Amino acid sequence: MNQAEIFEKIRTNLSAQITDISMPSPRRIFVSVAPEKLIETLKILKDDFGFYHLSTISGLDKITGFEVLYHLANSFVSLTVRVQIDRAKPEIISICEVIPGAILYEREIQDMFGIKVINIPDSRPLVLPDDWPEGEYPLRKDWNYQPPAETIPGEEQ
Amino acid sequence: MKKIKIPIGPQHPALKEPISLRITVEGEVIKDADVRLGYNHRGIEKLAESRTYVQNIYLMERICGICSHSHTTCFVQGVESLCGLEVPKRGLFIRMLVCELERIHSHYLWLGVAAHEAGFDSLFMYTWRDREVVMDLLEIISGNRVHYAINTIGGVRRDLSEVQKEKILEGIQFLKKRMEYYTNLGTTEPSFVARVSGVGILPKEKAMSLCAVGPTLRASGIASDIRKDDPYAAYDEIPFSVCTATSCDVLGRVVVRIKETMESIKIVEYLVKNLPSGEIKVRAPRKVKEGEAVSRYEAPRGENIHYIKSNGTDKPERVKVRAPTLANYPATIEMLKSGFIADIPLIFAAIDPCICCAERFVEVIDTKNENTQVLTMAEIKKRYSKSQGLKKGSSVWPL
Amino acid sequence: MIERLIKWSRLKSPWILHLNTGACNACDIEIVDALTPRFDVERFGILLKASPRHADVIVCTGPVTRQMKDRIIRIYEQTPDPKFVIAVGACAMSGCVYRGAYNVIGGVDQVIPVDIYVPGCPPRPDAIIDGVVKLLQKLESSK
Repeated sequence: MNQAEIFEKIRTNLSAQITDISMPSPRRIFVSVAPEKLIETLKILKDDFGFYHLSTISGLDKITGFEVLYHLANSFVSLTVRVQIDRAKPEIISICEVIPGAILYEREIQDMFGIKVINIPDSRPLVLPDDWPEGEYPLRKDWNYQPPAETIPGEEQ
Repeated sequence: MKKIKIPIGPQHPALKEPISLRITVEGEVIKDADVRLGYNHRGIEKLAESRTYVQNIYLMERICGICSHSHTTCFVQGVESLCGLEVPKRGLFIRMLVCELERIHSHYLWLGVAAHEAGFDSLFMYTWRDREVVMDLLEIISGNRVHYAINTIGGVRRDLSEVQKEKILEGIQFLKKRMEYYTNLGTTEPSFVARVSGVGILPKEKAMSLCAVGPTLRASGIASDIRKDDPYAAYDEIPFSVCTATSCDVLGRVVVRIKETMESIKIVEYLVKNLPSGEIKVRAPRKVKEGEAVSRYEAPRGENIHYIKSNGTDKPERVKVRAPTLANYPATIEMLKSGFIADIPLIFAAIDPCICCAERFVEVIDTKNENTQVLTMAEIKKRYSKSQGLKKGSSVWPL
Repeated sequence: MIERLIKWSRLKSPWILHLNTGACNACDIEIVDALTPRFDVERFGILLKASPRHADVIVCTGPVTRQMKDRIIRIYEQTPDPKFVIAVGACAMSGCVYRGAYNVIGGVDQVIPVDIYVPGCPPRPDAIIDGVVKLLQKLESSK
């Protein structure tokens, strides 16, 4: 199977699930999926196309809404599944039942964007420190950080 | 038997990053493990959004000190594909050369660490001595031992002279001889083999479903290598083979890494002997066209992936970095289960971060209602001061 | 008499603790490099120790992350007096490229007092050894 064949096959076999498909550069396929069809799509991709490897999950703040990107890979191409989420209701379903290795990435998304992952097996914070204030999500575009003033040791305060 | 929780980390006595593990044990046997990250979290992804692409190369380089070249290559590849730049062949070859030398240095380093964790300290000292040869080669090429800063958008920053090429070939010959010795040692030395075989089993199906990457995955019998599956730079024209093992344990990971080093040495030889002439870089625009790119790279530890989104300015909209070690954590937890406490450092070292046993957490287990709380430093201080009747500000840890 | 003996032994064999406060591993491997055969600081009696309770000198690498801050103070307090801190690398001095990141507090001197700074990104093992030797000289001159 080469990349053009995979591209064609995804376009025809998954026409009911995906809303958009493109191949901007060699071996890179981007598809868009509605949030409620995510699990179904991933199952088909995994069983029929061998996309069992999830490279990572990226979050993206588009001001108007969030975008979650699932970067999958098989031994021929890298496929990115794009899901749009409403900013007012930042929720997404967990994909751990299809790909158990997704757990850490989902926890990261929760930490950094405040996107609630429904049905996540383990929802504790992963990367942010213990004393991190609740409700602050550093990778959102409207979150800004002012570093505190530095003290130089030995100088008069 | 009663279950006991052991906290491990975040402070490590010898090297590598701080990380914290909670291990639940029954007697000597590990029943469950849990990872807490964030000790090393610096917020690079947010920082990258406020810097230009050229500044970001230097930031990406400092994500990791051992595979610094892999992050910059992954980043510049993404930006190059966004700009539609065609890097000259000579530039690509030098980039790959540094990449393979980095793989050799990383695997030498790992072999030493693994030997140290297995209690074989003389091998540790041997490998680290030989590793200095690779460090010298990298210094000859780039001018620095660790952060090479050789990549730039559109090519590489330094050319290779004839004298440097000779030096590299010379150093590689020495490394080859040493690696043959280690191959013999690592696979036949009875005490070492007895220590590492059968430890940290990761079956093939588990490795696939938990999305393990790199040598960890290849040691479970899956021939997945980004250099072959998704060839970047000019890897599609270089002869090399993907090394696998089927034993699924730490011994398999040792074998895979030793074989890979031998392959890398061959690749370096090929690259130096077939180095094309010509330019080493092309001029890159300051502003990058709007678009998005997924860049993948086979780092010494496995698949490294960067997702870059540009918005037409000189700063990226979003840079997502996933380093290989993070992908291997779920698999590590699987490996730890039903192992022994004494195997923890070995199993952890086998995926190539490293964790050891200096305990820096205090866990107070309330035996009445079995509540577990982790106290912060300030709270412990307060409690101690209260119980000892100490004044505020006096030393809490009398020694 | 005892004091002189303690000082003599401290000068002849300082025991160091390596503390990663959020570094990128580059300084860390250079420190380990300094302990291995090419550079071999053990010939000066410098010994790497696993526990802060055994150490005289804390060698810090990396910028201080928010999560590590409390742990660094704790490790510093566990080290017996007199204790010395060496900040290795540009990050441990000022934060280097991570300056201004939300999870980075800054250099090590923002949290604990530092005696010697070793610049470089990362400093070569020779520079790290030089830093330790300078510290010993400082100790010797301060009676």
